[in-house]
Amino acid sequence: MNPQSHPLVVSVCYVRLSATELHASARFAADIFGLQRVAENNGEIAFRSDHRFRTVSFSNGPNDNSSIGIEVWDEPALDEIERRLRESGFATSRASPEDCQLRYVQAALLAIDGSGNRIDLVVRPRQSGRRYFPSRDAGITQLHGVGMRSTDLGRDLKFWKELGAEVSDWVGDITYLRIDGLHHRIALYPARRHGLLYAAFEVETLDNIMQNIYFRQERQIRIVQGPGREPCSKQIFLHVEGPDGVIFSYVNGMSEIGPVRRPARQFPRMPESLCDWGSESKDVPELSAGVS
Amino acid sequence: MINLKDVSYVRLGTPDMESAETFATSCLGLQVAERGNKALYLRSDDRSHTLCYTEGNPADQAVGFEVEDDDSLQQAAATLERLGHHVQAGSAEDAARRRVRAFIGFKDPSGNHIELVVRPERSGRRYFASRDAGITGFSHIGLNSTDPARDERFWTQVCNARVSDRIGDIPLMRVNSIHHTIALVRAPQAGIQHVNHQVQTSDDVLRSFYFLSERRVPIVFGPGRHPTSGARFLYFKGPDGMVFEYSVGVDEVEDEATHRPRQFGFEPSSFCMWGSKPAGMALPSGK
Repeated sequence: MNPQSHPLVVSVCYVRLSATELHASARFAADIFGLQRVAENNGEIAFRSDHRFRTVSFSNGPNDNSSIGIEVWDEPALDEIERRLRESGFATSRASPEDCQLRYVQAALLAIDGSGNRIDLVVRPRQSGRRYFPSRDAGITQLHGVGMRSTDLGRDLKFWKELGAEVSDWVGDITYLRIDGLHHRIALYPARRHGLLYAAFEVETLDNIMQNIYFRQERQIRIVQGPGREPCSKQIFLHVEGPDGVIFSYVNGMSEIGPVRRPARQFPRMPESLCDWGSESKDVPELSAGVS
Repeated sequence: MINLKDVSYVRLGTPDMESAETFATSCLGLQVAERGNKALYLRSDDRSHTLCYTEGNPADQAVGFEVEDDDSLQQAAATLERLGHHVQAGSAEDAARRRVRAFIGFKDPSGNHIELVVRPERSGRRYFASRDAGITGFSHIGLNSTDPARDERFWTQVCNARVSDRIGDIPLMRVNSIHHTIALVRAPQAGIQHVNHQVQTSDDVLRSFYFLSERRVPIVFGPGRHPTSGARFLYFKGPDGMVFEYSVGVDEVEDEATHRPRQFGFEPSSFCMWGSKPAGMALPSGK
């Protein structure tokens, strides 16, 4: 294969989450957050957010089983990734047919980054022929990206660079990684433990972000941070509290990176580097300016 | 017919000029144009001033509207007198205090003090804000009405205002292509209900939400979005209980000939499509 002709990875295509209370998590996803429930398979409840068959699933089980799915261009690209990750000393294993079925994909390489986060590199994740029809009008258009907790930024950055990701910007050591034309799809946050920090879902307009705020206020559901706008990516965000400490985010308006390459920019870890409008995260240290 | 071109200024009495100046500059973000004899002139755009605080009673309020020329002003005075309004011709000194060539004063049917002015002054220097609130200019007012149907007739039949939309029986009225310049609000007595300044982007609305919240300025409505004009808004309280609004993205009425006012129900979602609810601010009551 010629790595120059196409990227190795295409998108963040799912988050699989362990739930301590499966049905409460499922209610959150459908009734509060606004995803579409599509399937239940082997105790795993799946939800859609866009044209893909599923982008979120919850299952009972230890927290360590959570993973994120990264769509890989094709099988040869998966072979190339496997070779690169092994060379760099990352643990990988080929998914069994059962593992693939559970993930709704044709093939997968199950990898672990430098922090211990499970990253599923998947080929041909299942799409849906029917259009997305959510349970309430939250305005969601797609799973946009993820924020990952990192206990070993150097190794994690190495991991993502092997997949072809590039750094768009830094805020302190928070690292925004791009894998397509947008500013970032993956962000690494220095943290004391590994795990998924947030799953971000794009909504149609600012209107949806704001409507989701008042929807929550009326139901007294905690907002972690926002409304705000990331200065680096220009993305408007609202971080809300999801099940088991995972943040679910509504986002809109991320800037594109033009065809002209530019070096990654360094911003200081200060409140105004994290939000242009003035919002702050009080309780989640990874999102706040106080800690790094 | 009295042809209003635009709203020119608001004059507000206050017993505490110092607090008014502090709020106007450090919170609202206007530029001090001039500190006159017991008067503070504030700029928000290329006009020499659009808000004037005068030392005195907060109930002393006036709204100035620009008319074309002296002839229009004389005709307006005659029209108003014929309809039984007491019209006061402004003295040369009072005109100078308002930075206009000539003006008349009268009361609308609810008792609001209205001034019609000729040739309000512009400034040669561009507007330079005291804080980066993103203000692009003074744009409209909310005006109390003890009888919205009667006052709508006054503004649309005696003057040239046109109804752009209605919420219940509350008309939002334009005098030019901007969706509304006068919003009537049902209230037990006359008064200015709010003073609107436009800002550049919705970012400015949200930034000010956090900025003003941090400074403990009471946010009385918003951040929100009006389904009528499409504007993103934030209402907050200033000195003497006056409510100020920032907004952005007010629609323009493109085709004057074919525009028909839309009727919105008298309910919260007609005032905000995002779901914000007013707090500490009187919304017009339905009946």
